[in-house]
Amino acid sequence: MSPAPAAALLAATGAAALLTERLWAVALLAGVLLGVCLQAPPGRRGVYLFGALTSGFGVLVLSPFLWSSPDGTILWEGATIPVLGPLDVTTTELSEAALNALRLTALGLAFAAYALLLDHDRLVAAAGVARRSALAVALATRLVPSLERDAAGLAESVRGRGIRLEGVRGYATLLSPLVAGSLERATNLAEAMEARGFGRPGFTRAPRPPWSVRDRLALALAALLVLVAALWL
Amino acid sequence: MALVTVDGLSFSYPAAPPALRDVSLALEPGEVVALLGPSGSGKTTLLRALAGLVPHFHGGRFAGQVVVAGLDTRRMRPAELAGTVATVFQDPEDQVVMTVVANEIAFGLENLGVEPRAIWPRVERALESLDALHLWGRKTVELSGGELQRVCLASALALEPRLLLLDEPTSQLDPEAATLFLTAVEQLGATVVLSEHRVARALELATRVLFVDGGRVLLDAPRAEAIEWLSAQRPLYTNPCVSETQAPSGAVVAALRGVAYAYRRAMPVLDRVDLELRRGEIVALAGPNGSGKTTLARIAAGLVEPQDGTVALLGRAGYLSQDPGRYLVKESALAEVALAVDGDEQRAGAALDRVGLGWAAGRHPRDLSSGERERLALASVAVAEPDLLVLDEPTRGLDPERKVALGDWLQEYAASGKAVLVATHDRDLPAHRRIGLCVSETQAFEERSVGV
Repeated sequence: MSPAPAAALLAATGAAALLTERLWAVALLAGVLLGVCLQAPPGRRGVYLFGALTSGFGVLVLSPFLWSSPDGTILWEGATIPVLGPLDVTTTELSEAALNALRLTALGLAFAAYALLLDHDRLVAAAGVARRSALAVALATRLVPSLERDAAGLAESVRGRGIRLEGVRGYATLLSPLVAGSLERATNLAEAMEARGFGRPGFTRAPRPPWSVRDRLALALAALLVLVAALWL
Repeated sequence: MALVTVDGLSFSYPAAPPALRDVSLALEPGEVVALLGPSGSGKTTLLRALAGLVPHFHGGRFAGQVVVAGLDTRRMRPAELAGTVATVFQDPEDQVVMTVVANEIAFGLENLGVEPRAIWPRVERALESLDALHLWGRKTVELSGGELQRVCLASALALEPRLLLLDEPTSQLDPEAATLFLTAVEQLGATVVLSEHRVARALELATRVLFVDGGRVLLDAPRAEAIEWLSAQRPLYTNPCVSETQAPSGAVVAALRGVAYAYRRAMPVLDRVDLELRRGEIVALAGPNGSGKTTLARIAAGLVEPQDGTVALLGRAGYLSQDPGRYLVKESALAEVALAVDGDEQRAGAALDRVGLGWAAGRHPRDLSSGERERLALASVAVAEPDLLVLDEPTRGLDPERKVALGDWLQEYAASGKAVLVATHDRDLPAHRRIGLCVSETQAFEERSVGV
């Protein structure tokens, strides 16, 4: 499948997860997206899956305490905290927390699938007038794996000097050079892009294969998915 | 009529001393100019000025005028000069925009508005001229440093520029790839300015030589005259004179037996490789780009576990990676070097002096030039005096004088009873043994002893 319809399908799945009010529907969408992400090479998908699943889990754990609903059965009652009010957990709050957690997980997984499985070069090429924005998004998407590589390289160079990195504190010392290195890389890349004519008016696009029937069907399915989620789910 | 005229150019980066001082020159169409000079002498800044990146991209104080193909660089943005000018920067890792090789080369052509039907044929021609057509569909993140450098060079060649600016373009290429590239450059017929520390190669191609030091042009002469000047004033630029040493026979410090490694299934980079490193010796690892030199060096240093075979390391190993940017962890050069010796500033200072960076002790490592960073990285690793010192392409960014100094220091280091393993394309570095790795026949691990 061409990357543009695939991206539309992923975006539609994420949008459907936000639009629907039914827990089972969001769970189904998140499950499908998880299945899609698992098609990516094991070595690359770990950090994305971790991000998507932990953020969802965080919402599930925290939101019953931060959001209060008078409806439902009280399952647990705690102390009253200034600003936050009484701490309690009701069935309604739990159900809402699960819905929001699954929504966030589905969004994270949709992004993970986009980052891991799509050909970003072809997405940029397909972007037409929005080429600059598409390229900015593609470069930002590459930030995660590139930071991962830089961090591994920094850690290796420190070990290569005979220094042992131990615990969170040891690795935390690499955070500042990692950010500085990343900024320097971004500046160098911007310089190289400018020198190669990026931003000049009148750019063209190298010919790409035309969309297949499957691509058109994927686009139709994306539209249908959003419609169904908005009207019937 | 000259393609480029530079008139009274002086430039200082923000809050820094002048990088260029009153430079004037003219470049004719078709000239190939070797731009020589020590690290930090202003070569890169001059190339940036010719591309219009100085002052537009870097800011700073700019005086004088640079005119390229009738376009004043003060009035035209670098993007508008692109196509007329193409630049290949020092660090290939920092220039890659797209994820697939063919798309990366097409990127510049698309920006310039080249007729769509002509884009893929031009991409193909550029890759073919560097014998790199096999890289067409490869992902850029999976390429070795040398392969990536070839892709950057192909991206510049594809633009068919009138002025081609090359900043150490062959620093990571094996000799065959470097020759191929320089032949392609010659055939392009463009005006070329080539900043290169492998001087012999640059002089072979050049019709004219510029020698820059302290931001000033000290020499601007045709090749024959320049060689004469260099022989008298900077003899190491024309005659690297690698000194000789006797092959030692110290105790084994590292022994690799039947080592195998593959990044992708069924594509081994190393297959049943044996290597023994002894105290007192310098071993050079050579081989084409992608032949596994870096992988073997990392395994020897104990940083990577081989997937098969054994590694016995009888002592402490230190490893200098190809990327000096990985050695910029602290806020000053002195603190950076002292990191490996528990903050011992005396030892760190001595190590900095040894690599000629004593003056930079208080400077932020990121303020140093590329060649200076390379030396800082070397000091950071060597300061702890590991029993086995593993260096990956340590001459990248080093001028001939520094390179000879490095060679002398490596010999001293080895003579003090340590072992040195150097992965390098540079045959000017002294070695007791040179080991060649092959790409296609990963099992064939040819080894031969050579005199230094």
